[in-house]
Amino acid sequence: MEPIIEMVGVEKDYASGPVVVRALIDAHITVNEGEFVAIVGPSGSGKSTLMNIIGCLDRPSRGTYRLAGYDVGSRSNNARAVLRNRLIGFVFQGFNLLPRTTALENVELPLVYRGQRAKHRRAHARAVLAQVGLADRVDHTPNQLSGGQQQRVAIARALVTDPPLLLADEPTGNLDTRTSDEILALLQRLNRERSLTIVLVTHESDVALCASRVITMRDGHVRSDVRQSSPRDAGEAAARAQSEPEPTSARPGGE
Amino acid sequence: MLATALSALRIAFRSVMRSKLRALLTILGILIGVAAVVIVTALGTGVQDKVVKSIQSLGSNTILIISRPAQRSGARGKAGVGGRMTEADGQAILREATSVAAVVPMVSAPAQVVFGDRNTSTAVIGTTRDYLKVRSYELERGEMWTETDERLKTKVCVMGATTAANLFGSVDPVGQIVRIGKYPFRVVGTLERKGQSLGGEDPDDRLLMPVGSFRARVLHLPAGRVWLLMASATDVDTTARAEAQIRAILLQRHNITDEDDPDFVIHTQAEFMQLQEQIFGTLQLLLVGIAVVSLVVGGIGVMNIMLVSVTERTREIGIRMAIGAREGDIMIQFLIEALVLCSLGGLSGTVVGLAAIQAMVVSLGWNMILPPQALIAALATSATIGVVFGFFPARRAARLDPIEALHHE
Ligand SMILES: Nc1ncnc2c1ncn2[C@@H]1O[C@H](COP(=O)(O)OP(=O)(O)OP(=O)(O)O)[C@@H](O)[C@H]1O
Ligand SMILES: [Mg+2]
Repeated sequence: MEPIIEMVGVEKDYASGPVVVRALIDAHITVNEGEFVAIVGPSGSGKSTLMNIIGCLDRPSRGTYRLAGYDVGSRSNNARAVLRNRLIGFVFQGFNLLPRTTALENVELPLVYRGQRAKHRRAHARAVLAQVGLADRVDHTPNQLSGGQQQRVAIARALVTDPPLLLADEPTGNLDTRTSDEILALLQRLNRERSLTIVLVTHESDVALCASRVITMRDGHVRSDVRQSSPRDAGEAAARAQSEPEPTSARPGGE
Repeated sequence: MLATALSALRIAFRSVMRSKLRALLTILGILIGVAAVVIVTALGTGVQDKVVKSIQSLGSNTILIISRPAQRSGARGKAGVGGRMTEADGQAILREATSVAAVVPMVSAPAQVVFGDRNTSTAVIGTTRDYLKVRSYELERGEMWTETDERLKTKVCVMGATTAANLFGSVDPVGQIVRIGKYPFRVVGTLERKGQSLGGEDPDDRLLMPVGSFRARVLHLPAGRVWLLMASATDVDTTARAEAQIRAILLQRHNITDEDDPDFVIHTQAEFMQLQEQIFGTLQLLLVGIAVVSLVVGGIGVMNIMLVSVTERTREIGIRMAIGAREGDIMIQFLIEALVLCSLGGLSGTVVGLAAIQAMVVSLGWNMILPPQALIAALATSATIGVVFGFFPARRAARLDPIEALHHE
């Protein structure tokens, strides 16, 4: 298997006033294609910092980071924008859909920046929305959708470019348990069926248990990196929850 | 890039529609500026056109030589009345000045002209046949008097269109007899209407007669004496040379040694043209100044709104950047939005301006001309304003840090 993420001695410093915060220290991480990685750790341990670097939103202060063979640290803002568009799909805790914009248009957006034609974009976006189970919600705007549905739109937007890597920073943070399981089941299915590489940050152990590998962060260091031979099947849990008539309520994310 | 530009255009329109009132107020700023430019340009061009036409109607190669008493000392005499310029001076100029095509003498007096029971007061001008050529008049009816008439001081006259209309109404004046003072004059021709006037003088309200007849029957003057010679240069470009030649000839003929104190003054149309150009140059500068100020004010409004828009949509910008928008994509999006605002302002300003011009032309009868280039310039300027004042906010948006933008509340 090909490594998609290769980090060698990656560090990130933040200068906040006279103090230098070492948010990430000497990270050596290699992730192969098709892995499902969960990153856990207490608040402030550097999970988001790590994700920002993996996602090419930020550059390491030291060390080298290769994404699918590209050396990210040496690339300009525009070059990294292109890498993000080609290689990465993002899913955020707060969904981060464009307000007052339909699900279809939200999903189309990454293709706009690829310069694809409108007709092509629309057909493709529709197909991906159907794959995440939202064929009948294409013309809804985010405020007309539940939190779970919004996160599905966000996942569709992340997948529409068919990227090898999906990054999710606390994707279930704003969702209740049952909706979380549904989203996780979707991610597990994508990981299994498309061998989509997934890196996911979470606070919840239930979520981390779904991954095939768990990286634990503490004070900017990678503390442990373990493989889980039998991950929890979120789809099963969701199906079980469906049979129990427990009322569910989705909390829409902060817009 | 085309796909992004098109989608940016759609986004821009949507964003404008989303905050209608705000967009409207911003557009209003540009609208007022552009409308003002359009109206003021039309007004300026109209006035200039009128003045240029009336100057040209005089013939742009016309030279006026006005007689006045030489004044070694003391008060200035009334121009034209004193002095000792004669018809012979005119003939000498025509003979010797190579750049002069024609010279006519001119004396004039206001007089009552009577036909039957109608009468009108008009300017009676004593001159020669070449008057028509020098002042570029055309005959409408009849013909010019003959050289014989000039020699014999016959009682004949040619009438301007207004004078003819006042006296004769619809009757054909040619061949009719009018009375000026005690003497009957036969009308031999009428002049075509010129219509333009400079400084209130109506070029169609006059009566021409041979200068000899004028001196004999209208105003008694020493033989040969004229107040004014009117010359025309062979060409517009030779006017200056003709003027110099005339000056030299007259100085010599009048035995004047002190060049600074001649007994004549020479005016050319070039002087009027120059004066006119000076006035309009200043006016134009003023107009451009007003236009620039009002458009800059409008542009600042656009910039302000765009900055607000960028701040409001920081998170949106972060999202777009995360999913692959390059700096140029973001930049274009906001530039196009500013451009849309300004173009809407420019278009509506043009429409309002044109409507206002139409209203003024109809209700006030003003001469207003809007050169098509001015329209294009107005639109181009508003678009430029959009780009110039949209640039800073757009660049600010494009340079946002994606991570910070994503976490913006
Ligand atoms: N832009 C920044 N400027 C200064 N310090 C920062 C910046 N971003 C993060 N930090 C600091 O870096 C450290 C790691 O932050 P990070 O956001 O990666 O933590 P995290 O593990 O994602 O926490 P959480 O679970 O609360 O999201 C923290 O101490 C934080 O204060
Ligand atoms: Mg975090």
